Amino acid sequence: MSYYDVDAILTDGEKIPCRFELDVPYLGHLDNSNGLKPGTRLNLPLWLAEMFALASAGEDSKPPLTLTLPPCLSEQVLAALKADPRAVPLRDQSAYFYGVAVRMLDLFDERELSAILRTTFVVRAADVGLHARKAEESGLGGQGEEFLRGLDEWERRLFRRGHEGVKGAKEWTDNVKRS
Amino acid sequence: MALPLPLGLVPSEAAFLCEMELVTVVPRQRLESIELLSGSTPKLRPPHRADLPLWLAILLKKQRRANIVPPAWLHPESLREIVTYETAIDVKDWAPPPPPPVRADSRGNSRRLNSADADIILSPPFLPSCTTAAPAGALPYHWFEFAEMLLAHASDDVPSASEVRSLLRDLQEARSAKMRSKITQPESHGEGVTSLRGVGAMELAESRGFVASVAEGVRKIGASAETMRREEEEEHGQDMDDDSDDDMGL
Repeated sequence: MSYYDVDAILTDGEKIPCRFELDVPYLGHLDNSNGLKPGTRLNLPLWLAEMFALASAGEDSKPPLTLTLPPCLSEQVLAALKADPRAVPLRDQSAYFYGVAVRMLDLFDERELSAILRTTFVVRAADVGLHARKAEESGLGGQGEEFLRGLDEWERRLFRRGHEGVKGAKEWTDNVKRS
Repeated sequence: MALPLPLGLVPSEAAFLCEMELVTVVPRQRLESIELLSGSTPKLRPPHRADLPLWLAILLKKQRRANIVPPAWLHPESLREIVTYETAIDVKDWAPPPPPPVRADSRGNSRRLNSADADIILSPPFLPSCTTAAPAGALPYHWFEFAEMLLAHASDDVPSASEVRSLLRDLQEARSAKMRSKITQPESHGEGVTSLRGVGAMELAESRGFVASVAEGVRKIGASAETMRREEEEEHGQDMDDDSDDDMGL
């Protein structure tokens, strides 16, 4: 992951639900109050939430807040993914679905989540590859378009790279026929 | 920053390399030997066949000074056999590449041309895989580019060219579907090894980006689980060491 990777920066901006454990008097502007009380629930961007969650002031002090899994990785979404990965428009959950999910896997010990994500990615990749190959023949429309609209950024990149290869081969084949 | 070029050969580069393949031509005019960087070409004497690089053969073909003899594997019969193999016999792996060339001795045995007593051991770009000496029923490394170029520039030399063309389409589709299904089987990523034996240069150039991206994505998703597993294994390993030490103490 490069320092200048725009997708990584935008993934950092995704909101994560957190619960404050400490009294923080000077962060009231985060939820338009005079100061954050313990137990306040707040959506913070991933970069900030991660820093708070991993920070601890002293020896046996708690971190200032605890994280919960974002709504795009909720039980319902995971159940739907387990049932049929292809039927879920991931982009509606989050444009950086896999990016956020991978960061969450780093923070939480979630074996099952990791397995579900892997199956989802691989199964959907097969369809992405098929669409990347057939993009020109079928045109844009019908069922394919709906599926492609539901791709998250990782899958869009996958589609682009798959399509580039097919396009290169097609261009060469057309050139040979013309010359 | 590195050059923004994709990893590996792009399709047009693979096709450029394919032009170095030797093909058999039947010359129509005499032509003296030409000194090339890769060696000198054989002298062309009209009724005798000779092997030339593909680019030179196509040039001579365009000038109507030679006819190209297509290799045996480009015959519709051979292609149909391969299509059957790809779609019915082995639906998971690709058809195997052509076997290494053998030569029969006079006693009824055959021996590999590349056997240990040969001075030079040849590898694919220098092996005749597109001349008339190539065996039927197996696709060489540059099959797709070679067939396309031959059909584009010398379609009158290829027997039943339209049938060959449609068989090649079938092959291309069947094989690209295999590539997709192979790389996107959830269970195949556990082992981490996928055989790509028999895949052609153009197919590799075409699907390299996609395959690499899928593998990259799977790796990223599994990265944290992998580090966790490693740590656990290390702890476990230490425990086992302790046990063995205890045993030694007893």
